[in-house]
Amino acid sequence: MTDILPAITTTPPRAELTAPTQRELMAELGLKPRSRLLARLPGWAQLFVTNKKGLFGLAILAIFMILALLAPLITPYDPYRRAGKPHVQPGVEHFLGTSRQGKDNFSQLLEGSRASLTVGFIAGFSATLIGLAVGISAGYFGGKTDEVLTFFVNVSLVLPALPLIIVLASFIEEASPTVIGLVLALTGWGWSARTIRTQTLALKNREFVLAAELMGEKKWRIIVREILPNMSSFVVGGFVLATIYGILAEAALEFIGLGSPNSVTWGTMLYWAMRAQALQTGAWFEIWPPAIAIMLTGAALVMVNFAVDEITNPQLAATRRIGPIRRFLRRRNRRADFV
Amino acid sequence: MAFLLRRLGFYFGAFFVAITLNFLIPRLMPGDPATRILLSLRGKLRPDQIDAIRKTYGFSGSLWDQYLQYLWRLAHFDFGISTVNFPEPTASLLFYAAGWTLVLVGAATTLSFGIGITMGIWSAWRRGGFFDTFFTPINVMLNAFTPAVVALLLWYAFTMQWPIFPLGRAHEMNLTPGFNLETLLSVAWHAVLPVASIVIVSFGAWHLGMRNTMINLLNEDFVLLAKAKGLSDRRIRNRYVARNAILPQITSLALSIGFVLGGAFITEVVFNYPGLGKFTLNAIQTRDYSFIQAQLILLTMSVLVANLASDVLNVILDPRLRSAGRA
Amino acid sequence: MSDAPLVEVRNLTVDYVGANTVSRAVNGIDFDIRPGEAFGLAGESGCGKSTVAFALARLTRLPGLVSGGAVRFMGEDVLSFSAERLRRYRWSEVSFVFQSAMNALNPVIKVSEQIEDAILAHRPKASRAETLARAAELFELVGISPRRLDDYPHQFSGGMRQRICIAMALALEPKLIIMDEPTTALDVVVQRDIIEQICELKARFGFSVLFITHDLGLMIEFCDRIGVMYAGELVEVAPAGAILTAPQHPYTRALGRSFPPLSGPRVRLEGIAGSPPSLSALPEGCRFSPRCGEAIPVCMRLAPELRPTPATGGEAACHLLS
Ligand SMILES: Nc1ncnc2c1ncn2[C@@H]1O[C@H](COP(=O)(O)OP(=O)(O)OP(=O)(O)O)[C@@H](O)[C@H]1O
Ligand code: SF4
Ligand SMILES: [Mg+2]
Repeated sequence: MTDILPAITTTPPRAELTAPTQRELMAELGLKPRSRLLARLPGWAQLFVTNKKGLFGLAILAIFMILALLAPLITPYDPYRRAGKPHVQPGVEHFLGTSRQGKDNFSQLLEGSRASLTVGFIAGFSATLIGLAVGISAGYFGGKTDEVLTFFVNVSLVLPALPLIIVLASFIEEASPTVIGLVLALTGWGWSARTIRTQTLALKNREFVLAAELMGEKKWRIIVREILPNMSSFVVGGFVLATIYGILAEAALEFIGLGSPNSVTWGTMLYWAMRAQALQTGAWFEIWPPAIAIMLTGAALVMVNFAVDEITNPQLAATRRIGPIRRFLRRRNRRADFV
Repeated sequence: MAFLLRRLGFYFGAFFVAITLNFLIPRLMPGDPATRILLSLRGKLRPDQIDAIRKTYGFSGSLWDQYLQYLWRLAHFDFGISTVNFPEPTASLLFYAAGWTLVLVGAATTLSFGIGITMGIWSAWRRGGFFDTFFTPINVMLNAFTPAVVALLLWYAFTMQWPIFPLGRAHEMNLTPGFNLETLLSVAWHAVLPVASIVIVSFGAWHLGMRNTMINLLNEDFVLLAKAKGLSDRRIRNRYVARNAILPQITSLALSIGFVLGGAFITEVVFNYPGLGKFTLNAIQTRDYSFIQAQLILLTMSVLVANLASDVLNVILDPRLRSAGRA
Repeated sequence: MSDAPLVEVRNLTVDYVGANTVSRAVNGIDFDIRPGEAFGLAGESGCGKSTVAFALARLTRLPGLVSGGAVRFMGEDVLSFSAERLRRYRWSEVSFVFQSAMNALNPVIKVSEQIEDAILAHRPKASRAETLARAAELFELVGISPRRLDDYPHQFSGGMRQRICIAMALALEPKLIIMDEPTTALDVVVQRDIIEQICELKARFGFSVLFITHDLGLMIEFCDRIGVMYAGELVEVAPAGAILTAPQHPYTRALGRSFPPLSGPRVRLEGIAGSPPSLSALPEGCRFSPRCGEAIPVCMRLAPELRPTPATGGEAACHLLS
């Protein structure tokens, strides 16, 4: 027990081994300390606000929603009526030209965003609600309830949605956008029900829920007070996915002519453009506006979903820090070898 | 085995739910379904045929009788008579169209699964790197570009603007179909654009799914152990991570067949491809209910079979499931 | 055995990089592991034991970052190994037994393949027969029938799985085996069994061990020297026997009091009052000062340095000792 002390001779001067202080390290990795304003927000909101992808998506969505809200005030022409000659080129008169039927494309686009976004959100919201109710009941009550509900969740996952919707819609005859939204909700709740159920099962055995049970809290109170708040991010994630599904499926249904052709939505605009052979006749301005609007909305929602994923899954969030860590090591001639 | 039997039982249950829905939907809608169907046959019928038709379509008798009749006919693949191609039986039309849809969906799914999984492995491995940072979001966004838009875009670009590919159909008109090189080439050539548009809107989901599963697995102790053992990166990536990550993707692949079919429907409409989508569109326009209902049954069946196949594959690939069955 | 240490850890600093903070989980620690020695790391949960162990094996996981210091293995700088040197370092020189064998084995690969993989990675020319024979030999070494080589991990009990992990760690006769809570997931009887087995193997093959466990009694029995960690710092290093009989640092004393003695009547266990500080709100001066019953004014201002303690022949970091 004599030479516990390191053999000084083999050790280079300590200074060479010094680590940067935490502050220096943060500066080198490009991490900014939280501003005081941010620190006041709840944890998930902080993560969201610092997520560029999520913010970008939200910004695009916000623009579309504002346009949709203001549509009646800012549409230059009545979107439901002829406003000029068929297929007028875009210009001062008609910002995005006119359709084959002579309706103003720009006005239709704005009016369409109302219906399309509404349907998407109705579908997303109702699907999430159904999924939440079914998922929580199945997960929390367990036993026979779980068995029966899980059977229906799995059935709804396994049944092909579009063909089923086609059957439904074709018997409804000229489904209005709202009806389409509800039909989509009825076929699209399976995914969120499944995630919510898994999440509930995980939460059910956590201390705070067990404690509430021991205290003799009523079941629905436990669900509302203890379980629900702890899966807000999963609910938001499910809602975003269901909304994407709603908007895309609505456009698809109307595109193949299952909607009511007299309503004005992005889907029916595409339908009419396709029927009018807009591309063949060089009337690109009839088809591009709704197409781009759908793509942008879809992209924006995907961005938001990305952000939600990164918030719920720390593993995914950590990927954003790999670059700086790699560079830190490289500057010190060390390899970053994490897989 | 027990696992597979349980799944099989579930698929029967699901199928039953589907055919019952299919039976109930027209009968729950306002208005008499028979009249509606007859309306769509307007002008094609002599009065003495009407009663016969009413019977054929199973709209006479009590609801229960109708249901039994309906099941009986389903069991014989009797989907009724097509009202468009009257009096062609719906079944023969259905199977003709299904063949072409199978070509599209089969090719598209294989490609998009392959591309997506490969990209997912790559971007998870170099997560946070250039490829991952740029292509993951872009590919997933493509996923949200509805098939209608992408198909239209491709169609416009490659048949109108630069007419490289044929305007539509599954093969040249004057071709007598048969198993020879000429037919295969023609079919492949005509399938390029439709397949591409389905692939474009679907591979992003595989990319993201595989990437996220891999990233979660990379944090597992068994991956760390593989690394600690000094295995080569390639071996860790392929044998220790991707091998495990592919299992849940196979399950989602089967579940997603329904979505892919949806995409295929739209694509067929745009490219005038003689598959189920195009015939269903025709059926919608002419209110050919027997075809509309038949496509649901056929597609449900195919999706269920795909799911069963994925279960079998999972049992083969996942030893945990295998012995769960033995226990 | 030569006197040169097998592993020298110098000023090792490991940070976890968060979204907008870094937390310093290991704050500049120094210790040596000598050839053939079992070195223990003790301390409350979250004090950074595993983080040190992973850094030693160069297995630091994201978002962890070894931001400073050095790890030398037989004089070589581990942190700046090239890719090829690193591959050789892993397993053939340092192997690892993880806390939970449940998760350490890949569930969809046969255990034989997982063992053979380790051998093949370092002896690429070995034939299948050779690797298989070696795997069988290893299985026998830890008392599992080689007939079960072709089974999958889930077909073994927890204890057997842990034995398989130990067998795997021995595959290339490394100089150092790091064991991070190798028996925590097991029941007491199996735990004893496995520790005895490790002792036996260690006597036979002469490897060094870095041993981490929450069972101080077990650690004192098994290890030659023990390092006590608190909030990311090493507060005392001493021969195993001295940890209970002559603890120098107040924290070591407190830790010793919270464990039952090895022999003699059971006394009431005293936990340590308070809880370890969070890495984001560390106290000024000595990190243990808020919980230390013997704190003096200087403790709140100045962090103590690790100094030799003649009483044990070890080192400790406490103002009371200078
Ligand atoms: N991935 C991570 N991200 C952020 N902080 C981490 C991470 N892993 C560990 N830490 C922090 O680092 C500190 C040390 O953790 P470590 O796992 O090394 O402790 P430990 O002593 O091994 O604890 P235990 O006895 O519970 O295993 C802890 O405060 C922990 O919160
Ligand atoms: S330095 Fe002071 S506070 Fe820290 S352990 Fe020693 S006496 Fe206690
Ligand atoms: Mg630990």
